[in-house]
Amino acid sequence: MGLSAALRAFAAGAEAPIFAIAGLGARDAVQDLRLRRELRLVDSPRSASILLVAGVVPEALAEAVARAHDAMPRPRASVRWHLDEAAPGGAESLRASVSASATDDVVAVVRRTFVELINGARDSEPAILPDVDPAPWRGVGPFGQGGSGMTGGRPFGRPMAEMGDDRDGLRLDVLPLTVGPFFTRLPAGLTLELRLAGDLVDEASLFPNPFAGAAVPASRLRPALRPFIRALSEPVPIRELELARARAHLRWLADALVAQQLESLGRRTLALAAHMMPDDLARVQALGRALRRTQVYRWSLADVGRLDGSRLEHLGAGPVARAAGLTEDARTDDPAYRALGFEPVVQSAGDTAARWKQRLLETMQALDLAARAGELRTEPSGRIEGPRGLLTLDSAPSDRLAPLVPALLAGLEWSDALAALISLDLDLEESAAVQPAAERTVA
Amino acid sequence: MNGYASAGVAVVLTGVALAVGIYLVAIGDRLLASLVGGGGIGWRTAVVRPAQRATLLLLQQRLTTEPSDAPGWALAPAFFLALAAVALAMVPVARGRAAADPATGFVVFSAAIALVMIAVFLHGWSPDAALPLHGAYRYGAQALSFQIPFLLAMLAAALPAQSLSIVDIVAAQDTVWNVIRTPLGLPLFLIVGASVSSWGPVNLADAADIAGGTSAEDSGVGRLLWQTARYGMLVAVAAMGGALFLGGWWGPLLPGPFWVILKTVVLLLAFLAAGHLLARVRTETFVVVSWAVLIPLALVNIFFTGAFLL
Repeated sequence: MGLSAALRAFAAGAEAPIFAIAGLGARDAVQDLRLRRELRLVDSPRSASILLVAGVVPEALAEAVARAHDAMPRPRASVRWHLDEAAPGGAESLRASVSASATDDVVAVVRRTFVELINGARDSEPAILPDVDPAPWRGVGPFGQGGSGMTGGRPFGRPMAEMGDDRDGLRLDVLPLTVGPFFTRLPAGLTLELRLAGDLVDEASLFPNPFAGAAVPASRLRPALRPFIRALSEPVPIRELELARARAHLRWLADALVAQQLESLGRRTLALAAHMMPDDLARVQALGRALRRTQVYRWSLADVGRLDGSRLEHLGAGPVARAAGLTEDARTDDPAYRALGFEPVVQSAGDTAARWKQRLLETMQALDLAARAGELRTEPSGRIEGPRGLLTLDSAPSDRLAPLVPALLAGLEWSDALAALISLDLDLEESAAVQPAAERTVA
Repeated sequence: MNGYASAGVAVVLTGVALAVGIYLVAIGDRLLASLVGGGGIGWRTAVVRPAQRATLLLLQQRLTTEPSDAPGWALAPAFFLALAAVALAMVPVARGRAAADPATGFVVFSAAIALVMIAVFLHGWSPDAALPLHGAYRYGAQALSFQIPFLLAMLAAALPAQSLSIVDIVAAQDTVWNVIRTPLGLPLFLIVGASVSSWGPVNLADAADIAGGTSAEDSGVGRLLWQTARYGMLVAVAAMGGALFLGGWWGPLLPGPFWVILKTVVLLLAFLAAGHLLARVRTETFVVVSWAVLIPLALVNIFFTGAFLL
């Protein structure tokens, strides 16, 4: 064996660096990969060898997937992971040399692909998109400078800084920047259009939900969402609902922690979320204490992204509203919950730290309810309190929170803006599952 | 009693110490991650994985962006690593001995810390992409803020020795360590040490919220070198912290070099633990605290040291 082959065999023992894109139905499954030691989920395709495209990815995102693919250094490969074997669905154009089905062990498939790729048994994949300038240079000078309009203000297809309004006495250039749809700290599909003045967000707006438009059958949704969708139209055991709620909150926390550079604690949270039972209350409390010791409430999140109760009234914004002092909770209308003596937990601060604490408190409350619920079932009424707020047959809390985003982020530093946005827990999949009948088209 | 080891000895000594230190940081970081995050890994895995990952990065293509500043991008990690080596070479390894002990070792070390700003900014600026540039500017704000409290904290450590030679500063700690004479010096030094290595709660330049910041566009050997340089700077800062504040080679029974290594490892463990147990500090909080709290504290620290010496 030559030196090069020996080196390659040695390198193949490393954790496979993967950039994962979680489509419909795949968010939790992809998140769980963080618990596997054989893989490493990386923040940027630049540091990945494998692109994992999981679940249903709509045609609207196909080009972005291709761009993520082409941004990976060679040797590279992509793995397509179908979670719903009966109806794979999604964009036709997403070819992949390797695919895994719901019944396959995806980690084994990825590992095998990675090892073959590194030891040379598998060829590196060529680029999907043609290598052309996004905007041809139109300058007149010898170095492409000058001329009228140049490339329409976008040299090399990149936006140039423009003059912005005076914000706080300091007139800065404003840089337009699109974050998403696969920005690693946000749910896949969420795209944010920003105008940054230095590191301040001058203006922010959200792109429309790429998953909306086609009716999503319940079998395609990620399993964690299904109890709440079912509860809209049929009685569901409270124990099941509250466990799903507690898990959803901790899964959110596991991701939010990574954005605060607490990846290890995030992994611990995720491990807890994945197998949570009502008797895990003590472990959640211990997690809460560990969280407090990281000072995250004091020097990372305090006073960041405050939302007044007055702006949240009657939005059914769940934990976000209750963190700002509102007592809105659809569970108070349900006789089964009333029988359990349910009272919403409420805080007053309304900032990002309060939203974090609120979710942790509601996790503990949910575990307590689950432990006491016995065989009690909800009464179906077409509205249910989901983990993110009021869910009805035709609207989800994320749709009602999204219009608040531009005003919430404006004027914040990017890191604060991101923390505030994450703390809203926008869920594109949940929105797609319960959209108004008029907006649905046949899949 | 200032002097230098012969060039060959100095280069080999510093290089080996840096390499061993960097590898120990990589192993320690993995072990701590599994300790805090669960899903324990064995010693063998922890020891072999960093080498495997480094090899993988060596085999990977090094991508560039189309309008990048190629020389700058290639030079930044090399410059950073060189600064780490210069800083480490100033650290005394045994009684009266350092790889390099100029009369102004203190100044050389401080200059290396200050110049990190050039390396980080160059690294963030040269890919000509939004997130790296964002990280670069953040480091600019951070470095401008910590520079003054850092120098004040260092000065307090040099005061008892009445010398700018690091060997003299350590020699002056034979009875009392500086950590007692200048109680605020070590915490200030550690905050700055983590900042220049973009580490833990004060990692603003390579932060998670900008997908790796200055290194967001790195791949292959460029990524490997940059991460190596960050670890190397952490090792240099920990070793210097041991020398300036924890009495360097002084200690009972065991020979001097052992104490130097032990103190370096203790400070490295503190850095690693902070990386897993403390949340990211907001840029604004860091800047405000540096100017409004750390500078006054560093001045109080100098007065305290002066009073102690009188």
